[in-house]
Amino acid sequence: MTNYIMRRVLLNVIVLWIVATLVFLGTHALPSDYATRRAAAGFEQVDQTEAIRLAKKELGLDKPLWQQYTIFMGELVTGDLGKSYETRRSTWAELKERLPATLELGTMIAITSFLIAIPVGVISAVRQNTWIDYVLRGFAILAVATPVFFVAILMSLIVLKYDLFKIDIVGAPHMWSDPAAAMKLYIIPVLAGGISGAGGTMRLLRSQMLEVMRQDYIRTARAKGMKDRAVYIKHALKNAMLPVLTVMGLTISGIVGGQVILEAMFDIDGVGRFLLRRLTERDFPPFQGTVFLISMVVVTMNLLVDIAYAWLDPRIKYT
Amino acid sequence: MAQSQTTQAAAPAVYIPPVQNVWGKRLKHLGRVARRNKLGAFGMVIVIFILGMAILSPWVARYDDNEPFQTANPRYNPTANPLDIAQDPGISTPFILDRFEAPSWDHWFGTDQFGRDIYARIVVGSQLAVIIGIGASIIAVASGTAVGLISGYLGGWFDTIIQRIVDAIQAFPGLVLLLLLASLLDEPNIPLTVGALGFLGFATSVRIVRASVLSVSQMTYVEAARAYGSTDWRIMARHVFPNITASVLVVFSISIGAYILAEASLSFLGLGPGDKTTWGKMVNSGRNALELHPWESLFAGTFITLAVLGFNLAGDALRDELDPRLRGR
Repeated sequence: MTNYIMRRVLLNVIVLWIVATLVFLGTHALPSDYATRRAAAGFEQVDQTEAIRLAKKELGLDKPLWQQYTIFMGELVTGDLGKSYETRRSTWAELKERLPATLELGTMIAITSFLIAIPVGVISAVRQNTWIDYVLRGFAILAVATPVFFVAILMSLIVLKYDLFKIDIVGAPHMWSDPAAAMKLYIIPVLAGGISGAGGTMRLLRSQMLEVMRQDYIRTARAKGMKDRAVYIKHALKNAMLPVLTVMGLTISGIVGGQVILEAMFDIDGVGRFLLRRLTERDFPPFQGTVFLISMVVVTMNLLVDIAYAWLDPRIKYT
Repeated sequence: MAQSQTTQAAAPAVYIPPVQNVWGKRLKHLGRVARRNKLGAFGMVIVIFILGMAILSPWVARYDDNEPFQTANPRYNPTANPLDIAQDPGISTPFILDRFEAPSWDHWFGTDQFGRDIYARIVVGSQLAVIIGIGASIIAVASGTAVGLISGYLGGWFDTIIQRIVDAIQAFPGLVLLLLLASLLDEPNIPLTVGALGFLGFATSVRIVRASVLSVSQMTYVEAARAYGSTDWRIMARHVFPNITASVLVVFSISIGAYILAEASLSFLGLGPGDKTTWGKMVNSGRNALELHPWESLFAGTFITLAVLGFNLAGDALRDELDPRLRGR
């Protein structure tokens, strides 16, 4: 087991290195770099080339590419995610202010999506080929096909039309200071993200449940007189969840992507909106740092999922 | 049948096999598949509808997608002096834009905030959705097949490197990778968006193609080909590739919907192709007056969902027909 984990960690380090290189190459291939923009803004009369040169020097963009790369990597290794060109603050400081909102939203979306996906998947499989199965499957297929922002718009329309929840848009209270108000504010993004995130899981869980319910041990459990409900939950669901766990990594990256959109839509000052803003302002270091951090979280999640998988399913040999 | 009898009557000495109605047979087969897989047939109908809309858009759009509609201002007073205008600004303009009109016979889906016909914009927007969905899929499949074939067949260090790169691409949350790629240029354009989406799909294609290649490479005919001295390239091209075409077709069809969805998200965030009319952009611009005039967002969002749904269902059906083992990937 230790060997397996060690190897996976090592592989992940390589993956993260490739991610970092891709991020670096991606952002440095951008033709209009920040220095040009900065020099162009407000200095119409002054010699442009000189202004660009000064701005580049100040931001360290005049060095050769490989040198910028080594500096970037060196900083990453020591845990430094760079400094914003715009605000001159370290990315960590910027992120620290925004992480709580993002984590709150992300956790709520993830929980909601599983709260939707698990019952729907189980009921749909248990009542296979009845009207309720058709309805739930239709719901799952639609959830996969509908963009998260459209789900959010439809929900906003319903909420606006009937004035549900009496949502007060002004002010963004945090979970710990005023949980009730925060819940109201988050209800549309959380439900929209949850429904979008649940689609794929629902379908996979249904097909896994159907597969598992054909197994001998289910027949044995029934034969010894177990109640249906207990069979479904104790035997079927437990075994059907394993493959669902493996795609949880995919679900999580889907939720992260949806969250960027939802934060931008609902003006939630979180990591996603920060990422988008830095990108449109060509403010590379915080953008690179944030992308790297998100990838690291997703990669680590995947690793944990794989380890949990190996631990939950004794048939899997870790070599 | 009648045809075969006449041929036999003309030349009874030799048996000439009856001329078979190949297309009729194929249609019959298609009908059987459609009856078996009703959802897939439904998806196919949507796909044909969307494709038809995109191809025929110059003829069915009714109006230009950027043409602002306006009506003559009945209160327009050309001789008004500035003092009158200051008191009543409504008399200064000869025309008023038909903004935010509800669906009517003239404007089937209503008009947007600039008085443009939403139906025309939806029809023109379908072109971009189709071009991007299919274009990205072609790029992903072509690159993924080439790399997956070599990587799966040759194995060794090349395979290891490719697999780690694929891992790295998949470690990126899709949208974040798209943000990175789609903003490579100041002004995002269609080829770049297609390329970025194709790159995103590359990893998945490599995975699936490689898995098929691995199983095909174990076959006796591959071993036989190697035994009589075929080169690796020849084996890959003549023996392995023809036997993985089913997976390749599945990979092609299954993610078109996902690309359309991703492009809609990018456009919604304002990072899509700049000057074109896209559904994602329409949903976003409709948000400005959502509460009172929801038509633009509603129609554009519905069409995104419809297109993605159609391509997803058709892709799933094709996968179930061609390669049921890929289910759940």
